[in-house]
Amino acid sequence: MAQLTQASVVEQRFASTRSSGTSRFVFVMLAPSVVIIAFVVVFPLIYSFYLSFTSYTLLKPVPAWNNFANYQRLLQDPIFGQAFINTLLFMFVTVNAAFLMGLFLSQAVARTIRGQSLLRTLLMVPMMFAPVMVGFQFRWFFNDQVGLVNNVLTSLGLLNGSIPWLVDRWLAMFSIGAATVWMNTPVVAIILLAGTLSISPELYEAADVDGANSWQKFRAITYPLLGPFITIALTILSLDVARGYDIVSIMTGGGPAHRTELLWTYVPRVAIQESKFGLGAAMSFVTVIVTVAFTLYLFRQLLKSRIL
Amino acid sequence: MSKHRMSALLVVAGATLAACAAPAAPAPQAPQQPAAAPTQAAPAQSAGDGPQVAGVDRRFDGVTLRAAFIGGGQYEKMYESIKDWEAATGAKVEIVYKGDGFEIDKKLKTDFAAGTGDYDVVWDHTSFFSQYIPFLEPLENYFSQEELKDFSQAILKSATRDGHLWLIPRHADISVVHYRTDLYGNEQYKAEFKAKYGYDLAPPETWNQFFDHAEFFAGKEPGLLGTNFAGKEEALSGRFYEILVANGGKLLDENFKPAFNSEAGVKTAQFFRELYARKLVPADMTSLLWDGVANNFCQGNIAVHNEWFGWYSYFQDPKNCKVAGKFDLIRQPVGEGGIRSGWAGAHAFSIPASSKNKEAAAALIKFLTSEKIMYEEAKLGFLPVRDSVWARMIAEASNSDNPLDKKRLEIAQVAISNDFFAPPLIAEWIPLTNILTPKLQAIMLGDVDPKQGLDEAAAEVEKMMAEAGYYNK
Amino acid sequence: MRYSSRRRLSSALLDLLVWVVLIAMLVPALWLVFTSVRNPVEVNAKPPVWVPRQLTLDGFKPLFGQSTEATGAIPFDRYFFNSTLVALFSTVIAVALGTMAGYVFARYRFRSKNALFLGIMLSRAVPGIALSLPLFLLFARISQAGPLKLIDTQLGLIIVYTAVNVPFTIWLMDGFFREIPTELSEAAQLDGCTEWQTFVRVNLPLALPGLAASAIFAFLAAWNEFQIAGVLTRTVNSKTAPVGLFDFTGQFTIDWRGMAAMATVMMIPAIAFVFMVQRNLVRGLTFGAVK
Repeated sequence: MAQLTQASVVEQRFASTRSSGTSRFVFVMLAPSVVIIAFVVVFPLIYSFYLSFTSYTLLKPVPAWNNFANYQRLLQDPIFGQAFINTLLFMFVTVNAAFLMGLFLSQAVARTIRGQSLLRTLLMVPMMFAPVMVGFQFRWFFNDQVGLVNNVLTSLGLLNGSIPWLVDRWLAMFSIGAATVWMNTPVVAIILLAGTLSISPELYEAADVDGANSWQKFRAITYPLLGPFITIALTILSLDVARGYDIVSIMTGGGPAHRTELLWTYVPRVAIQESKFGLGAAMSFVTVIVTVAFTLYLFRQLLKSRIL
Repeated sequence: MSKHRMSALLVVAGATLAACAAPAAPAPQAPQQPAAAPTQAAPAQSAGDGPQVAGVDRRFDGVTLRAAFIGGGQYEKMYESIKDWEAATGAKVEIVYKGDGFEIDKKLKTDFAAGTGDYDVVWDHTSFFSQYIPFLEPLENYFSQEELKDFSQAILKSATRDGHLWLIPRHADISVVHYRTDLYGNEQYKAEFKAKYGYDLAPPETWNQFFDHAEFFAGKEPGLLGTNFAGKEEALSGRFYEILVANGGKLLDENFKPAFNSEAGVKTAQFFRELYARKLVPADMTSLLWDGVANNFCQGNIAVHNEWFGWYSYFQDPKNCKVAGKFDLIRQPVGEGGIRSGWAGAHAFSIPASSKNKEAAAALIKFLTSEKIMYEEAKLGFLPVRDSVWARMIAEASNSDNPLDKKRLEIAQVAISNDFFAPPLIAEWIPLTNILTPKLQAIMLGDVDPKQGLDEAAAEVEKMMAEAGYYNK
Repeated sequence: MRYSSRRRLSSALLDLLVWVVLIAMLVPALWLVFTSVRNPVEVNAKPPVWVPRQLTLDGFKPLFGQSTEATGAIPFDRYFFNSTLVALFSTVIAVALGTMAGYVFARYRFRSKNALFLGIMLSRAVPGIALSLPLFLLFARISQAGPLKLIDTQLGLIIVYTAVNVPFTIWLMDGFFREIPTELSEAAQLDGCTEWQTFVRVNLPLALPGLAASAIFAFLAAWNEFQIAGVLTRTVNSKTAPVGLFDFTGQFTIDWRGMAAMATVMMIPAIAFVFMVQRNLVRGLTFGAVK
């Protein structure tokens, strides 16, 4: 609370004494970031937005305007529809699962005293994996003949025969989800760990005096105070999961029979392999809108907790 | 102007040809000697001594060629010989991109579209080249009939479209049935099989027998499955295509309308579905590609298996494979249509139209597809595409301790000249497989009835072909 | 007394559980390292061989200029160099730019501030899929038109990764600068510091843990990125290690062991980098915390 007022005071001071020097300073500080983002993200997006209204293909790279034909096509495309639904489902489940895993790990690591820095480094190992490699590794884990998962289950006596992890619709979704969660949990855990460690120990001591148990302390102190961190973690998570193309394309490539088709496996197939770049651009625009909407929703929460 | 240049080219091509073709000695005469020292070979050539190495010409001194080639393992051995060509010609070759076939495909398409495809020689394939035609240089002006005479004519036919030759083959491959001799030779199994099916157990002559065998052997021994097929991407559509043809069906009719939802098509789809539903193939077959199915066979989990010739040396290596020495080959089975068909394709080289050094590029291709280099590649297990190299390989294989070494080549040669079925030469082949494969998977997994699945795929393919402008010509 | 010993027991159990979960999370990494030193026969063996029976470093040969039966020599030194160069430069630039922008977002009030902040953050929400190909086409135009070569150059990748990492850095640094008491800045300004001096001399040193946290995220993102690099690179001039991993996949085969060996080596700089800055990471992430 105290901080809030201080900040506003300073800002007001700057605002009221705003000189041309100050606004130039703001401009100079911001311009490089804005320019580079515009160059790498905004311009290409505008270009592909334009192409999404054309019949541009890689093998006939001449953009001929065709109005909303691409958008009409994707609306009528049942596979696109399925990929769309799969994507929402996939994002919803993996974001939540990675969040819960990360929350658990952060709380567990935060309360250990011995070996915490080792734990912390171990915790981050999945972040150091190239996503491409995560895909190869998990594809092999879930292989039905030689894969680790089936063999572990068999030797534990839990399984007789083999489970076709990458074939069954739900198991396949589970498998790519597991790989995605594995890779994204550490980020959440680290952010929430940082949040937890920033909570003043006095609050817990007071709770101890009141005889609260661990769960009560978590509910009453940790969770509410983690609020902003949770929003940040969820936002990062949803962005990273939406970038999880490498994993899914290597593990299942959207198959079999489109069962694990996600927007980010389907779009490149249309845009590059089938060369229909205009249509692919339209599809990727829909993808952008979904991701942005998802992020925007989380951001509204974030902005609430942020002092602007 | 351009006509003038063209005729100049022809003269040049003819000159190279004259230098190379004159001594085209019968292959098995160990022509390795002169080529082993190509630095000497080059000047010798101008003196008219006629070395075995094609495409060596000092005119390209100082030229730098940029190439995009297929990479990985055995494929790269060939590129070591490029040093010799460089030394002999004074030209340089920069392999700017290496990747597997699908990666090169992506790269070429994006580069062609962006105009960044500044390659002089590119890897190409009979299944892929139709897409690139607008960006390729016709090759008949660079290669004379005389030079092409030695190449397998069936493959050259698959490299020709719209009356132009677009690629020069490097090596070929075709499917062939691999079966386990220890299983097929087992007396007890033979008796059991005879009792159950009423005919003798022998390597499959027909696809129906193939199915019976798969059914019979599945589960006979712990972990043993009947067969397996690469079950995704282009691979599954290719296998479907091959058996469809054997069953008397067609993928597309003469007007490019989809024809695979015919009776033969349904029968073929049913074949895959039954194999899967009765668990005669691995449960995760729909996620297996070439390496996966080959590994299953190699580990001894598969009784009878439709596979490429190119795997031979891998399977015969006891360090890698449990089936080494325990398998034999037989030509593709006959389908209900009385046809033997092998899905076939050839790796090849093309020259992009944008190349500024087309003559040098052609010379490099001549060198890389020369007898000497092709022979060396054939030694690695690839199937050559020149008759002379075939003759030499077979002659040498007769001396091998393993009779299969020779038998394999004989089967391959017969198969390539008789059973060679490349996918239709249309730019839409890969998009077509993107439609067909998931439907075939759905049929196998039981999501959809074979007839209905094929009808749906056919409707989509027709729509795609219509959009591509095939029906309004 | 009894109550507290029960508590101690449950806490020991929880500790155990944490270690079990963490080790389970490490299995893929361990398996990768194991695969890299196996005999090829063990790699796809069924049943699987857990601990390699016989160690061999042959899998690493292609990385150091020797070919194996499965894979020819791979220009790993070039990939590694490219990756290092691209990751380091883009990290430094992204952190520098992001810190500058984060500072003004935290401390200044200006027109359309919220909209700009939101816009920058949303730029990170654009999936690589939607970006990589139009970016390639655009970069190709620029490279053809002028002296600025962005296709198949390290520069092209540095620019892209910088842009991709700037938003997150801005966000982290914005939070972090809010943590630093404003009195310090006020005092500095009263002492006659310019705004730039106030930023560099007073605030920046205090923000170092935040820089470290941003740097970890930026570095790992750049080090492991594949999607865009796969499209923008072509030769050893710019190919980075994640793209180079595909050198182990042939048309029909995957040299699993060689790939694992390369991935293992690739993890070393990542681990080293994280280890160096991880101490600051947790501190750096405690932005906006209620003290």
